[in-house]
Amino acid sequence: MDRTIDALREDIVQLVPRLRRFARTIARNPHDADDLAQITIERALARCEQLRPDSRLESWMFGIMRNAWIDEVRARVRRDRVFAPEEAAANVGGEHDAVNVLAIQSAMQRLPEEQRMAVSLVLVEGLSYKEAAEVMEVPIGTLTSRLARGREALAALLSEPA
Amino acid sequence: MIITDEILMAYVDDELETEARAAVETAIAESPELARRVARQQELRRQLRGAFDSVLKEPVPDRLIDAARRAPAGRRDAAVTDLDRAREKKSERTPRPWSWPEWSAIAASVVLGAVLSQTMLRPFTAEPIVARDGRLLAQDVLARALSNQLSADQSADARVAMGLSFRSKDGGYCRTFVLRDGPGLAGIACREGESWPVEVVIPGAAGATQGSEYAMAGSELPVALLKEIEERIDGEPLDAAGEAAARLDHWR
Repeated sequence: MDRTIDALREDIVQLVPRLRRFARTIARNPHDADDLAQITIERALARCEQLRPDSRLESWMFGIMRNAWIDEVRARVRRDRVFAPEEAAANVGGEHDAVNVLAIQSAMQRLPEEQRMAVSLVLVEGLSYKEAAEVMEVPIGTLTSRLARGREALAALLSEPA
Repeated sequence: MIITDEILMAYVDDELETEARAAVETAIAESPELARRVARQQELRRQLRGAFDSVLKEPVPDRLIDAARRAPAGRRDAAVTDLDRAREKKSERTPRPWSWPEWSAIAASVVLGAVLSQTMLRPFTAEPIVARDGRLLAQDVLARALSNQLSADQSADARVAMGLSFRSKDGGYCRTFVLRDGPGLAGIACREGESWPVEVVIPGAAGATQGSEYAMAGSELPVALLKEIEERIDGEPLDAAGEAAARLDHWR
């Protein structure tokens, strides 16, 4: 049945950490990623009538985030970059793993955007191929080929001598 | 069974049906080479998650929680079962006049764009101000007035009364307006490309303007609006000639 708007808001609150994580794989610096997450939340609420009862909230919101990034935020981030130099991925927790984490994050950032999103949706967010294909608005075959190329590229980048 | 990279990937991603899955597992058991490939893929998955999972443990910025709890929401009262029905509903929706109850709750206080948009804007159609992507935009009668109507040359019964026009510190043109319909909103819109984002809206400025020959001069603007102008204005407001020239330039 239909969710009430208040329930939807609380569901979104619960989802914020994952929205931030997906945003972090899309936008390079954490501040841009949070801007992207915020725009996504605002758009989702403004269009909540379009959320179908049978679709998962996270898939729906990831789709909104992808579009927000493509339509709007990406261009702004590029423009702002003139003033705010790209930050290296920060706030990495672990100790012995930290180098590894940085290497993976930076390898991700070197993937073409469409591959990066496919990798992020399936490998990081754990979406099914079908869900990920819907988020990216492509056929499953396109999704799996991006995913395969993304994986290969990542594996190659990570095996490069440091 | 030949295990292609594609099948292997689907196996690692848990996308295979039971039978195919079993076949891959049998093949893996028989081939150390396949087992190594699978292990590498699983390791990549694990590493990727590990690299981004730290985000989940970071404190969430308040502004995101605020957005989730307070950003304006569209209508969800009618249960919409599919997108087609949603579209149908949209096209059926007719423009409605601004209704006082929506505004009265905040009429007493100064309401800036952000607060306003959080309180009550729904996806209106053909309303003078709409919320789009978290901002307020002038459209329809208001957008036309902002683009075309000069303060020095406007009829007393126009639906929108234009006030001051000025250059903002950002370099663009801003104009103040009063909507004579409904509760009479006064506000400031600042040109951005071809559109007029509304930066400030203040309700309850209508009384003075309705039906009167009201040529809004600076001194007659609500005080709160004056403060907003002061914050933005670069130099002096445009005179009649300056306004006419700006209009000729499409306010660019």
